[in-house]
Amino acid sequence: MDILTPFQIALTLLATGDAELMSTITLSLLVSLTAVVTSLLIGLPLGAVLAAYRFPGRTPLIVISNTFLGMPPVVIGLLIYLLISRAGPFGFLGILYTPAAMMLAQTVLVLPISIALSRQAFESLNGEYALLFQSLGLGRLARIRALVFEARAALLTIALVCFGRAISEVGAVMIVGGNIRHSTRVMTTSIALATSMGELAYAMALGIVLLLVALAVNIASQLLRNSFRNLGHDV
Amino acid sequence: MTSERTRTDLILSARGLNLSRDGVALLKSVSVDIRRGSVTLLLGYNGAGKTLLLSCLHGLIEQDSGQISAPPRDRQKMVFQKPIIMRRTARRHLQFVCPGLPDDQLADWMKRAGIDDRIDAPARALSGGEQQKLALVGALAARPDILFLDEPTAHLDFAATKFIEEMIHEAHDQGTTIVMTSHNRAQAERLGQDVLLLDAGTLVESGPANRFFSAPRHPLSKQYLEHL
Repeated sequence: MDILTPFQIALTLLATGDAELMSTITLSLLVSLTAVVTSLLIGLPLGAVLAAYRFPGRTPLIVISNTFLGMPPVVIGLLIYLLISRAGPFGFLGILYTPAAMMLAQTVLVLPISIALSRQAFESLNGEYALLFQSLGLGRLARIRALVFEARAALLTIALVCFGRAISEVGAVMIVGGNIRHSTRVMTTSIALATSMGELAYAMALGIVLLLVALAVNIASQLLRNSFRNLGHDV
Repeated sequence: MTSERTRTDLILSARGLNLSRDGVALLKSVSVDIRRGSVTLLLGYNGAGKTLLLSCLHGLIEQDSGQISAPPRDRQKMVFQKPIIMRRTARRHLQFVCPGLPDDQLADWMKRAGIDDRIDAPARALSGGEQQKLALVGALAARPDILFLDEPTAHLDFAATKFIEEMIHEAHDQGTTIVMTSHNRAQAERLGQDVLLLDAGTLVESGPANRFFSAPRHPLSKQYLEHL
């Protein structure tokens, strides 16, 4: 295979606005961004509470959350599959082999990352600001709100890490999504399929497109960071 | 220092404060009285327990035993030796530490501190002296009854030190009680009305500043003043 062929195919696919590619990119972004937003909505407050307060059960919570950091995606996919398959306890939802199942799997996958990283960021900031907050007599909610605002630059990085993990994931979404054309096929499962069919140039082209999508998201986040800085927010 | 003074003169009174960490006694039965409207200098060698006592009096650290009678927390302010500055603009930092401060007063405080041209700059990008000024005006803008200052002019140049001292004078003139630590004898003599000398967690001597500096009673006070 000519080394330039994948690039030519990737450029052609993008330039012609290949309908199948576009729908695959759209679904990939939809699934991954939904998973990232959901995991941040759950993970950030949990991370802040774990960082700022000591309570019974805190250490086991941290240990369990950290254990899930090392959980292989296929195992998470399998667990979700067992839960939402027709015979499973949540089979009545009927979401197996739908984008919703893929969002759920990716959320479970990146949630431990958002908890662990946000806890670390909040712990560091809480150590820095604890005396000031105490001196000002801030209540719990006000402290957490202030910590979240102060950690905004770190949170942007956490969101990017979560997005990177979600968009590049293949095992779990393959198991619960099924890689159904025009329905649950995302970029990574398309690459896996193309590779198994021997269409290496097409698979590589999809990989390049995936990288370009990740690059676009990172550029957008950098622009956001710069706009913070222009507003004098010192991030 | 104030056993002869009536309790109504006092804004803060602490009795028998004890504090230990890891089996080491850091404050040993410390009792202090702070007169309303006074400037009290807390003196002592490094590690004597000055910052610890200040933190106890302000309620940042809970003593193991002893009692403190002080104004409510929202009527107290503290400026730390290393100012704690938020990751936001100077304006938003002031709004955070002094919520409800009207914009015109906020601008006025920044102007008095000589940093009004940096009002929309990231607060953490200000110089050390500017950050200390920001921390001080953030505390003063709330018009506290009592203000704790932990070595507010450490590492500052002459101009910044002069500004901080002027602001302390002004706050005092307006009725704010000041309790501060310092390692600078000239500054202590300029500002102090009352003095507390701590040594290894024990209150060695307390009394009017002029008497303390001219005729210290305790041998450790004499020794300390020779080094100050």
